[in-house]
Amino acid sequence: MNLLAVVDASVKKEGLQDLTMRRTASSVPFAGRYRLIDFTLSNLVNSDVSTVGIFPSYPLASLLDHIGVGKSWDLDRRKNGLYFLPVTQRDGGLSSVGAFAALEEHIQFFTKSNQPHVVVTNSFVVTQLDFRDMLKQHIDSGADITEAVSKGVSLKNYILSKELLIELIQTHQDKKVVSVEDVVNLKKSPHTFNEYEYEGYFAVIDSVQSYFEASLDLLDEENRGKLFLPDRPIYTKVKDEPPTRYINGSKVRRALIANGSTVMGEVIDSTISRGVYIKKDARIEKCIIMQKSIVEENCDLKYVIADKEVYIGKGVVLHGTAEQPIVLRKGETVTKEDLR
Amino acid sequence: MNNKVVAMLLAGGQGSRLKSLTYTIAKPALPFGGKYRIIDFPLSNCTNSGIDTVGVLTQYQPHVLHSYIGLGTPWDLDRHNGGVTMLPPYAEIDGIKWYAGTASAIYQNITFLQTCEPEYVLILSGDHIYKMDYELLIDYHKEHEADVTISVLEVPWEEASRFGVIHVDNKMEVKEFDEKPEKPKSNLASMGVYVFNWKKLKAYLESDNISEESSHDFGKDILPAMLENGEKMVAYPFKGYWKDVGTVESLWEANMDLLDLNSGLNLHDPDWRIYSSNPQLPPQVINETGTVEGSMVNEGCVISGEVLKSIIFQNVTIEEDTSISESVIMGGVIVKKGAKLHRVIVPPGLEVPERFEIRNQQDKVILLTQEKLDEWKERDHK
Repeated sequence: MNLLAVVDASVKKEGLQDLTMRRTASSVPFAGRYRLIDFTLSNLVNSDVSTVGIFPSYPLASLLDHIGVGKSWDLDRRKNGLYFLPVTQRDGGLSSVGAFAALEEHIQFFTKSNQPHVVVTNSFVVTQLDFRDMLKQHIDSGADITEAVSKGVSLKNYILSKELLIELIQTHQDKKVVSVEDVVNLKKSPHTFNEYEYEGYFAVIDSVQSYFEASLDLLDEENRGKLFLPDRPIYTKVKDEPPTRYINGSKVRRALIANGSTVMGEVIDSTISRGVYIKKDARIEKCIIMQKSIVEENCDLKYVIADKEVYIGKGVVLHGTAEQPIVLRKGETVTKEDLR
Repeated sequence: MNNKVVAMLLAGGQGSRLKSLTYTIAKPALPFGGKYRIIDFPLSNCTNSGIDTVGVLTQYQPHVLHSYIGLGTPWDLDRHNGGVTMLPPYAEIDGIKWYAGTASAIYQNITFLQTCEPEYVLILSGDHIYKMDYELLIDYHKEHEADVTISVLEVPWEEASRFGVIHVDNKMEVKEFDEKPEKPKSNLASMGVYVFNWKKLKAYLESDNISEESSHDFGKDILPAMLENGEKMVAYPFKGYWKDVGTVESLWEANMDLLDLNSGLNLHDPDWRIYSSNPQLPPQVINETGTVEGSMVNEGCVISGEVLKSIIFQNVTIEEDTSISESVIMGGVIVKKGAKLHRVIVPPGLEVPERFEIRNQQDKVILLTQEKLDEWKERDHK
């Protein structure tokens, strides 16, 4: 494959702050058993792209732990494969995709590779983009830069020649542009632009609100069918979780549930990650419960996002709204006493 | 003195009483518990007990096992030193030597064992479901300064004649070993788990190999010979869940045991995980019309019908207006609209047709087969 990939995992989204206190947007859990970056990496490998540079921002630990040497995506290769390319600037990370300052620090990633084209992608727009198709259309168009769009929304995925990217990296300060996205948005440049119209599933996750909506949209069979395609699987770090057990008395309706969980109570219109405990007579509706969280007996939760390892004590009642779901941060404990 | 332990896992068994479930795979490769194969249990026990050198002896239908185990990565057995080694029978100048019995399987891999230079050899069976810390067994073996230690389990008296039955004195030294006796004198059953001092075992294997009367079996030949010669043989009392899934009924029972929180077989134990290969599948979905109670469900399933007290493997689709109870539905099965299954084991990949129902006499466990489905269609459901 003559395409090199830049995964910009450093993009900062203010609206996601509650979920990104100790991780970057790229490692926010999504759809029960995935992190946002899984969708990007899976699209790349499903499109035969085998040289992938991940440009992360701090804190790194969560993302690094998740990606490892890239084995889950078959990117642990002798030749090419996965490159983890952090920057020295700890407060790095822009709100736009493809920051030149970061790419400049790792200019060798580009100069030493032999692929003629580069896709600059991100990890907060969930798609099933086929980069082979996008590259073909880019080459046919003869344009300098191709941007993927869907229904008038930019998917913040760009293809350009490596030569042009290196030139942009080297001259960005003089030209007063900070990122590939910036160059595309300015449009006041000598370059020619092309749009690649994409028709499949997409979700831009840039706020708690959009995260919540996109998560619950997956309870809809049609949306799920567009995201989970049997011939383009979504890969993630595997965990040795047993199948989920449903204890006598459980009631479950319209739910997306990962392995390793125990359901004793009632789950409606919700997504549940791996290793979650929903205890007896607890009721969960329109909620997102992440990995290893515990919901104790007689809880009543509606419109709640519980991040990883949250503990919700007996009898806690929390009702958010569709517009403003309540977010419980990673590791938080909520008891009835706290709410008095 | 080194303390090295090598585990030899006997995985060549056919399991003929499991009928069509083991026509194309060996018994240790049998799917179990919604996600696993039986061999995951002894392999995970090795990993969790710190045993990092494991030989897996295969013979009957080995292909699925070989490709499943691969380099041993899921069990952390892809090591520079040791790790997992697949040991099928092989050809020598004077022909192919099939494994005639459990002891001959080990005898024919003496070269492999020599290169490992073990002090102790742990013999395991690939077709039992149990969680066991082999380190405790080996410590016990060392403390008792035994030549061989047999792991034993108390079984109900009426079942004792199915096993190798052991008679011990008050120091747990074995006095008698009866392989499947008609009238058992004890209810201590051998689990087919033995620790040998390697040098001693090697000598017995060599003399057993040239004996013409021998059936080359641990229970029938090696252990009685050692006892006769006064070697120190002790019994290690194992407590916990252990099941030999030899029949369709016992396979069903073991699956149902997973649904009983008091059965002693808990897969949701983070301190003793059962490792397995993990296919990349989306989370399970329970739809608007679906209900799930008292069951275990794996990833990739879409449930739109009623599921009660059942084990549902990966990638199973259960359509609307269906009723599944006390059943085991293996990977990739599709249960079409209106079908009803009670106490049925559905092997991987079958498609249960619309409105299919099987008359279940006296609550017997039924193993569904393609032939049974075809017959049903032929009969009156064209």
